[in-house]
Amino acid sequence: MKKKIAVYKLTFFIVLLVALVTALYLGAYDFNHSVFEIVSTYFKTKTHTADSFVLIELRIPRILMAILTGAALSITGTSLQGLFKNPLASPDLIGITSGAVLFAALTIVFGSAVMHLLPPFLSYTLLSIMAFLGALLTMWFVYKMATSNGKTHILILLLSGVAISALSGAVTGFLTYISTEEELRNLTFWSLGSLAGSNWWKVCLVFVVVSIGSFRLLKKGKTLNALMLGEKEAAHLGFDIEKTKREIIIISSLMVGCVVAFNGTIGFIGLVVPYILRFVFNSNYNILLPLSMILGAVILLIADTISRTIVIPAELPIGILTAIMGAPVFISILINYKRKLK
Amino acid sequence: MIQIHDLNFRVKDRFLLKTIDIEIKKGELIAIVGPNGAGKSTFLSCLGSEIPYQAKQFSFKNKDIKSYKKDEIPLHRAKFSQHQSAEINLKNDEIVLMGRYPYFKNDADISDKEIVQNWMQKTETQHLIDREYEQLSGGEKQRLHLARVFTQLENTIENKLLLLDEPLNNLDVAHQFKTLHLIKEFTNKNNTALVVLHDLNIASQFADRLILLNKGTIELFDEPQKVLTQERISRVYQYPCILHQHPVTNQPIILFG
Repeated sequence: MKKKIAVYKLTFFIVLLVALVTALYLGAYDFNHSVFEIVSTYFKTKTHTADSFVLIELRIPRILMAILTGAALSITGTSLQGLFKNPLASPDLIGITSGAVLFAALTIVFGSAVMHLLPPFLSYTLLSIMAFLGALLTMWFVYKMATSNGKTHILILLLSGVAISALSGAVTGFLTYISTEEELRNLTFWSLGSLAGSNWWKVCLVFVVVSIGSFRLLKKGKTLNALMLGEKEAAHLGFDIEKTKREIIIISSLMVGCVVAFNGTIGFIGLVVPYILRFVFNSNYNILLPLSMILGAVILLIADTISRTIVIPAELPIGILTAIMGAPVFISILINYKRKLK
Repeated sequence: MIQIHDLNFRVKDRFLLKTIDIEIKKGELIAIVGPNGAGKSTFLSCLGSEIPYQAKQFSFKNKDIKSYKKDEIPLHRAKFSQHQSAEINLKNDEIVLMGRYPYFKNDADISDKEIVQNWMQKTETQHLIDREYEQLSGGEKQRLHLARVFTQLENTIENKLLLLDEPLNNLDVAHQFKTLHLIKEFTNKNNTALVVLHDLNIASQFADRLILLNKGTIELFDEPQKVLTQERISRVYQYPCILHQHPVTNQPIILFG
């Protein structure tokens, strides 16, 4: 079993590397030199050519952002599913993504005066803190709504998600309508997501949040497994369940909030990736958590590469691609449910 | 091993357990019996620190039970619950391996896996290894979780405590007795087990002492011969019964009706 996991990890890593190299070369702009040459000339001359600008300021940050975003959305999806003991509990379906979008949009519109004065790193930090707060608030609301006596009702969970998404969609739409802000002008950015705005500042911030968050979540495998036995049983195995819940909720909100603030809503990744992995590894979270990170990175990187190359010189919003993958999975989970109800 | 003084547990104004005083020795197999709603499971939950009881004293191995750390107590105490999760999407040996979670960080040792194998053999669940958990029968699931609970207490610590809430539910007669022998084997090594049982005859045959609970109080805590009298049992259960003697062990046998 251990060997098998190692093989999967290695395979996923290799696919990630291949996807990464391919993504470097694909795009609306074709390089005149090899990637390695472009980078080395840039570091010698310290001045940008057209090649090096596209590569270093646009394409590489975007690729890194895709990897980080995919990893973050997948590992939070897996953790939330473990926490709520339900394969439908992904950040977008239960509404925390929408909560983050709402707060991010509000911050951009009403905080624009302040944000222009701040250096980019700080203004991005402010934006992600606000998105984090939005995610946390919705998460708290949804959790309180859906949980009674330690049991989470998945129907209420999903419906709260629908309610929050509707509210967030309306407010974001309205803000987009009245706003003159450049970052808000494009509604599809918020509803279907895009990695086009990536830059090094954002990548650094997301990197810090995602690595700290994932580091904590990766340790939760045993606890999430034990939770399948029930909360009391897990406590008898020595796990502090309340602490775990708080930790997962806060970390997931932080990661989702940060990612959403810069990339908009990229749906279904947190649903699809664990779902695929469960076919092979059942629900062993010790395995699901690390593998979902890598697979999430691979899938989102491929999706983003397709989204920016399929209709050159335009771009297809990435959310369309993830939804195409996600909707069938969503439906098949529902069919599974129906079977169990019989 | 366990000293409890004036333990109470109430929900709103209703006492589910009232002024419980009890002292349990090491190496004892104790059966908790009593009619429905007497507080058997509640008492076991108190012993498992699952619910917020009030007690003047509750010491476990001469230390206040609350002074044990959360990750320390699983090595001393395990509980088998009455209701087992219906859906666990894991391989059956991975479920039993959870009993070893307090012992390893990320990856199980070979010794952990051997302990799992050993207990799956003892509980006769080894042949279920490739079946899906959800497809198992109630009794098979039950035995799998028994194996898990026993693997949790497989260590060199002395005087461990095992709490079992109706472990014989769903088990066929042979497995009921095999399970009780496993529990007896455990208590023979100077460990203590408290078992909620419904069958008074099985209780009298295996237990060293019985706790007879009635309406949240201890009616009597003594050896089976002393607890099981015709008058007391028919009064507590509010149903007529007669008393016999086991032809081999001479333990009392209760026949209801």
